[in-house]
Amino acid sequence: MSSARIWDVVVVGAGGAGLTAARHAREAGADVLVLNKGLAGRTGATITSGGGISIADSTLARLGFDLDPAADTEQDFAQDTIRSGRFIGDQSLVTSMVEEVGDALGELITMGVKPRVVKRAPGHSSGRGVHIKGPDMQKAVTTAATRAGVMFREDFVSAGLLQGADGTVVGVTGVDRRTGLVEEVHARAVVLATGGTTSNWRLRTAPEELAGEGHAMALAAGAALIEPEMLQFLPCCVLAPEIWKGIQFPWTIGPQAGVRAWLLNRYGERFLHSWDPVNVELATRDVVSAASAAEVAAGRGSPNGGVYLSWAHLPRDIIENMPLWSKSLAADGRYQGFDFTPLIERIKSGYAIEVAPAAHFSLGGIHIDVDGSTGVAGLYACGEAAGGLHGANRLSGNAGAQMLVQGRRAGVAAVRFSRRNWSLQPATNGDELHARLVAPLERETGVAPLELAQRLGALTDRALSPIRDGARIDAALAEIADIRANALPRLAVRQRDATYNRDWLAAIESTAAVDVLEAALIGARHRRHSLGAHQRADSAAEDDRPAPFHGLVRAQGGALAYETRAVAFPVLAP
Amino acid sequence: MRIRLKLARPQDGGGDEIADFELPEDPAQSGISGTWEGASVSTALQYLQRKVDPSLAYVLSCRRGLCDLCAVRIDGKVVTACTTPLRDGMLIEPTRASLQLRDTVVELSLVRRNRI
Repeated sequence: MSSARIWDVVVVGAGGAGLTAARHAREAGADVLVLNKGLAGRTGATITSGGGISIADSTLARLGFDLDPAADTEQDFAQDTIRSGRFIGDQSLVTSMVEEVGDALGELITMGVKPRVVKRAPGHSSGRGVHIKGPDMQKAVTTAATRAGVMFREDFVSAGLLQGADGTVVGVTGVDRRTGLVEEVHARAVVLATGGTTSNWRLRTAPEELAGEGHAMALAAGAALIEPEMLQFLPCCVLAPEIWKGIQFPWTIGPQAGVRAWLLNRYGERFLHSWDPVNVELATRDVVSAASAAEVAAGRGSPNGGVYLSWAHLPRDIIENMPLWSKSLAADGRYQGFDFTPLIERIKSGYAIEVAPAAHFSLGGIHIDVDGSTGVAGLYACGEAAGGLHGANRLSGNAGAQMLVQGRRAGVAAVRFSRRNWSLQPATNGDELHARLVAPLERETGVAPLELAQRLGALTDRALSPIRDGARIDAALAEIADIRANALPRLAVRQRDATYNRDWLAAIESTAAVDVLEAALIGARHRRHSLGAHQRADSAAEDDRPAPFHGLVRAQGGALAYETRAVAFPVLAP
Repeated sequence: MRIRLKLARPQDGGGDEIADFELPEDPAQSGISGTWEGASVSTALQYLQRKVDPSLAYVLSCRRGLCDLCAVRIDGKVVTACTTPLRDGMLIEPTRASLQLRDTVVELSLVRRNRI
């Protein structure tokens, strides 16, 4: 099915980046349609974000905040970001973020958002930035986009990019979950703002829907993924009971709050001593995550596959007085939607909490330039879906800054392109995309999509955990090859009714996940040295460490190919 | 553990159907940590769609009570399924019959006036 209407700009995804792109495109005069997999304003990772937006003090002072402009400059902000990313961040993206986030925040304030100034931000050399709660931020961008006249399709699962004979992107193919129909949406430019790929990890802080369809669509259209192996984990998330799985509460009341809780393996050893003897549990997130995963991999973990976070060595007064200092720890024990009183009581009575690192944020992603262009005509990306800004690690608050700055850049650039792409070429791949999408629905018997999803979950846990090694990566790549040969062609949805069909959704998501995970594994295999979020148990010899390089994965001749590029250092060299 | 789902399905002639579902003894076999009492209503809905009734429709996003997408009515009270622990014999219904789209899924769009 195909609608005759041609939109100037179609944005895929309705989180902070997508709706910022959509609003700016609309304000520049374009007809804009947002396609969202769930309900706009209710899905995506913006709602669950910690709410930080990094901004230099000098920029905040310009916006009227009472801060010393000399204490922290945009250059300081850029340098902290580049150092934290271990010098593989794209410095043109970093410059754009630090210089433009002030204007973006100014706009939010004009819209009535009231940010709170941050006093302390781990990894940053100053407080640097403001805080806007995730749900408040999502509400602000949703309201602004609707007021500007952006239009929406909800419960629409985008799954492929329509392309003309010369490869120019001319629209999106997807499934309307409410009607069960496959539809083509025609556009003069498309912006991918589909978020990260974190839902492919079984323990995760991020929401359910981030399987990486945007990444897979970009790959299929000819774009590259940059540093796809780089995934940020948040350490010390809850493992059990099931209802709290992946919630970072123990982290926020422990090491993140600066409280000297101890991380112990099953022998009671403070294993972080051998990773960071000075900071120990207050080491950076990548180190704490890798150390915890390494204990489990070595068979020294807890029964549920984690390690123990313990406050038992601290006097009871310190534990009982924690609510006085911790913003996360309300007097009634509530954190996000949960009552954590039973967990706090457990800590008070001397028990440790079983914790593990959870997949939190995709550092790598779709390769873009400073305008969000993917290099494929008519295709743009922004926000967490796009890679390269953070390099090998991300500072707190930089995802918030990224989404606002890149959203505007991509929205504006997409409008510019749409004006050049006025008489739209016909798509040459519409039938092929349609056939691929409906195949699992029409197949009578075969592999249930959830079986594939579970297999991919196990594979990801083994090979793409916070601590990696060559043997596991190679084994996972062999399994991906087997999945491509034997599972994908046999995927079969178990129920025929196409509306609200969970199996069909799982089929689309796992098909995308195969591409995303293979790209991540290829990137991981070629990055032989530990670097930031990518920690290898078999890291190659230090005297053999290459100069900082980018790893790019793109589809070539029916397979994924890898290439490296030297990193440019216009701002700061190692 | 036994839970009850009130499912109104158009193809069944529009009448409400209350279906009883028995959750198996050992949640670990379905990859669920700990007991059913320590799992959420969302986990049970996910389990039932995967293992019992592939046609069951449910929605879930943030898993932490922030997005309200998974709102349902449980024993008469509107709550988020993802933050509500399972209880034996609980009755799960859509929040409001007039908003129902399918099974537990209801219309909660925030952008209805801008939808095409």
